[in-house]
Amino acid sequence: MENKISEEVAEVLETVWTLQEKGIVTLDSVVSNAATTVSDELLGTLSREGLIEVEGSRSVRLLPKGLQMAEKIIRRHRLAERLICDVLGSHVEESEAAACEYEHLLAEGITNSICTLLGHPRYCPHNKPIPEGDCCRQARDELKPIVVSCNQLSVGETARVAYFSTHEHTRLLKLSALGISPGTSLKLIQKWPAYVVQCEETEIALESEVAQNIYVWQTPQE
Amino acid sequence: MTAQAARVSKKVVLVGNPNVGKSVIFRLLTGSYVLVSNFPGTTVEVSRGKMELGGLSYEVVDTPGVNSLVPQSEDERVACQILLREKPDVIIQVADAKNLRRTLLITSQLVEFGIPMILVLNMIDEAEERGIEIDTQGLSEFFSIPAVETIAIYSKGRKQLLGAIQNVGKPNKLAALYPKEKIIEALQSLATPPMLSIEWLAEGDRELIRTNVELQGAAGLASLKKAREGHKAAGHGSLEKEIGDARGRLLDRLVELHKKKRQSRFLQESGVFKKIWLALLFCGVVLFAWNEAGALLRFQTPFTLFLQWLAGKFGQPSGGLIETVLLGINSAGRFEYGIIPEAIHFLLFIAPIMIPLGVLLSRSRSFAYEFGIFSRKASTGIPILIGVLLLLYEFVGYTGAQTLVGLLEKVLFGQHVIPYLRALIPAGFFAELMVGKYGLISMGLTYAIGIVLPVVGTFFIAFGLLEDSGYLPRLSILSDRLMRIMGLNGKAILPMVLGFGCGTMATMSARILSSKKERLIAIFLLALGIPCSAQLGVMLGMAAGFSQKAMLIVIGVVFSQLLLVGYLSSKLLRGKPSEFIFEIPPIRTPQLKNVVLKTWYRVQWYLKEAVPLFLVGTLALFALDNLHLMGQSLLSWTQKALEPIVSGLLHLPVESAGIFLLGFLRRDYGAAGLYDLARRGMLNGQQVVVSMIVITLFVPCLASFLMIVKEQGMKRALAITGFIVPFALSVGTVVSWILRTFDVQFH
Repeated sequence: MENKISEEVAEVLETVWTLQEKGIVTLDSVVSNAATTVSDELLGTLSREGLIEVEGSRSVRLLPKGLQMAEKIIRRHRLAERLICDVLGSHVEESEAAACEYEHLLAEGITNSICTLLGHPRYCPHNKPIPEGDCCRQARDELKPIVVSCNQLSVGETARVAYFSTHEHTRLLKLSALGISPGTSLKLIQKWPAYVVQCEETEIALESEVAQNIYVWQTPQE
Repeated sequence: MTAQAARVSKKVVLVGNPNVGKSVIFRLLTGSYVLVSNFPGTTVEVSRGKMELGGLSYEVVDTPGVNSLVPQSEDERVACQILLREKPDVIIQVADAKNLRRTLLITSQLVEFGIPMILVLNMIDEAEERGIEIDTQGLSEFFSIPAVETIAIYSKGRKQLLGAIQNVGKPNKLAALYPKEKIIEALQSLATPPMLSIEWLAEGDRELIRTNVELQGAAGLASLKKAREGHKAAGHGSLEKEIGDARGRLLDRLVELHKKKRQSRFLQESGVFKKIWLALLFCGVVLFAWNEAGALLRFQTPFTLFLQWLAGKFGQPSGGLIETVLLGINSAGRFEYGIIPEAIHFLLFIAPIMIPLGVLLSRSRSFAYEFGIFSRKASTGIPILIGVLLLLYEFVGYTGAQTLVGLLEKVLFGQHVIPYLRALIPAGFFAELMVGKYGLISMGLTYAIGIVLPVVGTFFIAFGLLEDSGYLPRLSILSDRLMRIMGLNGKAILPMVLGFGCGTMATMSARILSSKKERLIAIFLLALGIPCSAQLGVMLGMAAGFSQKAMLIVIGVVFSQLLLVGYLSSKLLRGKPSEFIFEIPPIRTPQLKNVVLKTWYRVQWYLKEAVPLFLVGTLALFALDNLHLMGQSLLSWTQKALEPIVSGLLHLPVESAGIFLLGFLRRDYGAAGLYDLARRGMLNGQQVVVSMIVITLFVPCLASFLMIVKEQGMKRALAITGFIVPFALSVGTVVSWILRTFDVQFH
């Protein structure tokens, strides 16, 4: 059923969700922020399906069914952004447009796989929260490691390298020659004035930009 | 064994990561005879030695340290070239046993050459202390090569290594090492080393590809290209990536199977021993700080008390040679350079810190480890850095620039050699040339041997100790942020520090920086404002007669100009700084033998390179002074020509014009000239400050200039000089104006 909702419906639900994060949602703001034309007919469909509720002419509210649907759309969108940013190494601005395309294409199962691949990230590249999926809840219960950027580790923490988000082959070779490559474990031992990680028994100083590009499986504390 | 018996010569090549004890193994094999030369067409040094074993004679080649045989630096490229071109009979991989994965990366690359090889797991004691257990036998069987555990600095494992050299065989073929990898088929028909060749091709390493073509013919290159394209065409990913992945999987598996990690032992090391020496070190630091603070704020310290007691005892020296040498009292009744004041200085400043530090570093691994941590953190690292710099100053600025300079220049040359020669040589042209005002001996040699050599020599000893201890890379971490302002990164602190020793050497060492932009900026800043130890020593001696304020103003002005010019050039020059990825070696006790050897090589280099320039400079000055034009010497003409600048803008005495000219021959030579002027009372406090700033910022010496031409080309060298000369004079003019306007006094 979910797959059958039209792109316009999805677009409106997404807009309402995003506006809700900021505060009160008015009909005018929905009309001006949505990436599609919000006709009365479209609003009618949404209310009839029991997705949203328009109170008077001012305020718009998501109903439980709409809330559930919007959550999934937002989740797909923000995960797609993360995917494009981290793994493909694109810029945050570029990721936005591409993510809009993806959000309509991804099936639920694939979304969860991507979420797992990325290590159940909690925030999108714009720092907005990504709604949790079943996979996230399950992972949290099982204490599965999550992927974070190396500079998000705290000093003294050990983690396994997952991947690098850089296209510079030279940098990859340099890192791997010093012993940092996917699969090896490293320990963050200093953050300032430069990052220092320990890999096997070697200490390696990194500038923050390089540290940021190293993604690691973080073992959650308790 | 006679020379005739050892006729067949085999070649052994040592390969390994940096700082794994390769050169120690090299000395273990070859003894003392070493020939160091540059690899053809590069500046990378390669040592060669000879060894005899079992009736055979071997040539042993020590290659520069590598992290991978897919080269990222000139050093790594040279190591590859040696492996390809010199066709060794045996490869010995020297490895740090602690870092197994990095070691095996190189092992997996070396076996591709199909040359008999040995794996030496060195520093096995350190690995054991850290709870690392390595299945050496298992590794040996997997690659089918001998693997030997050694502790090279104690000659442990030497016999096993020699035995292995005699019984070495070819390593396993790739198919046996990567049994499950599909790419092996694609590599089967390629020339050795197949995987590396593909990676060199993918990296576009022209030099190695060319070498490969030279050795294997163009067909070899064609088949490499075909293999890459064929692999893609067959619908796989890129061949080099799959090679990298296959290697990664192999390393993971080997580390998993053959390395066990338990709790490290060495940090739990207990002991009263460490505590006692730590307490002694603490007392030493307190004593040092007391002495230093007293010198700055002028209160009584053990050092001044000792000197007072000494002055009371020997207040009126008779002026005999022995007394002069022992006490070194100057005309003002102050101790300047005597052996006894130096002994007190050594016992109160240097020994209380260096002795406990040396004992702790060599006897307590946990201390060395902790010291390594403290010296890289900002909160503890900066106080340690200040301490290191002060110690460096005490050793180079006092022991070198005061005691040794006093003994050599004043006593040896000033009171003995020169008067003796003056009496010996009949007056005339020759006497003038040798021992006159601008004489080759009285000025050239006295400056070179009497003033500069002791300063440079003590600096080289101190730098060698710092280098060998592994402290310098920690400086890179601490200085990274500061260097970033100037468009550089922490790595650039190394040439900068070396620049305080010798600008020419430092200019050459700027090669370790990875981007063109960084090399240019570093060389530029070195030329602009880093005084070399000789110059610094002379300047410190000069400032000693004045207040600390003078020195602080000089340092402040020069440093701010360095920051400013560095910042501007980082904005103006195109290109981006290279990334900062830098291995920090562990802190180790400096090997005295190493430090002595290094210092000796550097002093030799100084004598060969700088002393002739000193003599040429003196000769030029002598000529200017003696050639007359219209009744006046050329020197006074030059001084006249420069007078408007020197006395008009900078408000310095006319004589300093000649000194700035000299500064181009050797900066320290110029500084020494200023020292002379100051000592004769011809400069007041303000003039000392201005002249020191100008001579510091002024053009690099001739030798560094030639090195800049060599590194960056004539055009850039001229552009750098063309900027620096007017810049130094303008800064000097402004400072002079400010000092005069606000009537700043120094005394």
